[in-house]
Amino acid sequence: MTAFRSVEFFRAALLGLGAALPFPASAQTKAAVEQERRAFAEWITTAPVSPFRAVVVSPVGTVGLTVGPASADVPLAGVGAGRLAERNGRVILERGNEAPLALPRGRPVTVGDWRLLASGPAGRAVVTVFGGARKDKKLPTHYPYDPKSAYVVSLIPAAAPRSERLLAPDGVVVEATEAGTVSVPGGAGPVTLTVRRLPGATEDESELEIFFRDGTSGKGTYPAGRFVSLIPLTGNRYSLDFNRARNPFCAYNTVYPCPAPWRGNTIGRPVTAGEKYSGGGLDVPSN
Amino acid sequence: MRALLVVSAVVLAAALPQQPSLDGRWRAVLDLAGGALPFELAVSAEGGKLIARICNGPLCADQATVTSSGSTVLFDIADYAATITAERRGDSLVGTYQNVGRNGPRTIPFRASRGAWPRTKAPASVLGSWDAWYITDQRRSPRVLSFREGPQGLEGAVLSNTGDLGMFWGGGTPDSFSIARFDGVSVYVLAAKLQGDTLRGVFHAGLRTQTPFVAVRTSGAVHLTAPTALTSADTVNPFTFSFRDLDGRAVSQDDARLKGKVVLVDIFGSWCVTCHEATPDLLDLYRTYRPRGFEILGLGYEVTGDSTKDNPQIRRFRDKFSIPWILLHAGISVVEETAASLPQLKGFTAYPTTLFLDRTGRIRHVYAGFRGPATGAQHTRQIADYREIIERLLNER
Repeated sequence: MTAFRSVEFFRAALLGLGAALPFPASAQTKAAVEQERRAFAEWITTAPVSPFRAVVVSPVGTVGLTVGPASADVPLAGVGAGRLAERNGRVILERGNEAPLALPRGRPVTVGDWRLLASGPAGRAVVTVFGGARKDKKLPTHYPYDPKSAYVVSLIPAAAPRSERLLAPDGVVVEATEAGTVSVPGGAGPVTLTVRRLPGATEDESELEIFFRDGTSGKGTYPAGRFVSLIPLTGNRYSLDFNRARNPFCAYNTVYPCPAPWRGNTIGRPVTAGEKYSGGGLDVPSN
Repeated sequence: MRALLVVSAVVLAAALPQQPSLDGRWRAVLDLAGGALPFELAVSAEGGKLIARICNGPLCADQATVTSSGSTVLFDIADYAATITAERRGDSLVGTYQNVGRNGPRTIPFRASRGAWPRTKAPASVLGSWDAWYITDQRRSPRVLSFREGPQGLEGAVLSNTGDLGMFWGGGTPDSFSIARFDGVSVYVLAAKLQGDTLRGVFHAGLRTQTPFVAVRTSGAVHLTAPTALTSADTVNPFTFSFRDLDGRAVSQDDARLKGKVVLVDIFGSWCVTCHEATPDLLDLYRTYRPRGFEILGLGYEVTGDSTKDNPQIRRFRDKFSIPWILLHAGISVVEETAASLPQLKGFTAYPTTLFLDRTGRIRHVYAGFRGPATGAQHTRQIADYREIIERLLNER
């Protein structure tokens, strides 16, 4: 292979043309959406910190929470009496003569048969307790893949992006930045939806999210709304594929707080794509 | 009858198509929203197990254990609780990379073919150092990008205020190129075009985060915050701590192995790629200065905070580099938690962070982050600083 061809060969791979490999890139396809759904279904049914297993989500508060006996703020069968408290920003479990146990944010800690997960900013810590799987949980269900529900949109940047604290899909308070707006077909013309940037899986990652309601909210999909991510294409163009619309965790389990619908983010027609509501969460009025 | 069954089984097994061994090099990509991230998997048998080393150009630092079941191949990247699961079709693998993020699985399409990526050519027009601004929602944050020609083509580094992301590898044409890094958990591609004197591009992180940037040639003006300016310390009172070693024994500042010595405290994590990159340099310092009264103390901040789970990871880290100094399990790798466990530091922000203690045990210097070998001159300067500090502290009486 000549040097020139080597370079072209490498560039082809980098640019996603996949010339060197036998299978095409599939990040944007129906197959990729279905793969994502399978992975999520597996995670939600097997992960120790799946929302299906959450039994308590509670702010630690300034006075802390008692844990252990049935009469405690957070009953934990098999765990001795103790107290969860936030001290200098750290969430600590204190139990009698035992050494205090730190609950680092974002990392589940096993206590007896339970897993405790601290989250939230300093001064407003939240603890989620995970136990055994509940049998009445239903797997996420979806509308059939609808290619007409996938749009290419342009993001109009916010003139002066503001940051605000709001609830992410998992019910955790995050610092979100206003990224801009996009337009999609609504019931009687285009509708403008607010896009916010939420923290992602790692420090370098973030997600451009839209929390929206539509004609199916409360009539097949979760009443409070659904999240959908923007996927960057080139330039200022993004894929907005409502087949990827997904429920907040409060749709799976009433212990999670539900994000308040984002003002103005209502599509006046039914969006029959993405995740449906299978029950399990809190039914809030559709209007 | 049993003999017949055995014979039948043997005949049946012989009739089934046999998958050739996975041994050898596989050119792989992760399909991100903005394009493909190329890397290599070098599979070989080691100690009775099949191991895949994850390679970015010439650098193969991280590894996965490989198991097969039928046509399904699992690459278990235990260091980062991540997996690649792929279906094998002859000399091709197609599947997904997965680890767990806050809202569930982080899944990225994966594919690979047998063979190695060809050597690339480093575009001479971009070699050297660039001062960059990442732009997110009209907010700018500084980076320094550096590019050089390596044995397999273009190598690069991305340096922020808190250190670099390790070595990237790639290639391109004189005015357009990409470099990438995948080490089991980092998923990065930096793609750029040279337009006149300006480099414009996009930094891809994970499946779909894309951050535009612009860069100009480094002018010599200060662009990043100095590593000594990010974290400050109580320099009046001796540094105090008490953590357990890997055998569960409490170790404090009063330990006889540390008393009266110049001590480099390495605040690290076995999960931290930059910490791995810093360790060979620390070994050099240790060999050079230990006879004159120098010691290193490693404070490990790990993924779970549970020593039964974390200590094996620290031992693995120790054994990888044959680390001879004291390693303690200090806590959890959450910045706020680490900061709370070391109250004499203010503004703790990066792993690794390096403290230099004088012979009286007082903190004299703090370096946040580490500028690894991929950063070239910045790395050389940081190690030179370390040597100068150690020499000076050793000469104090």
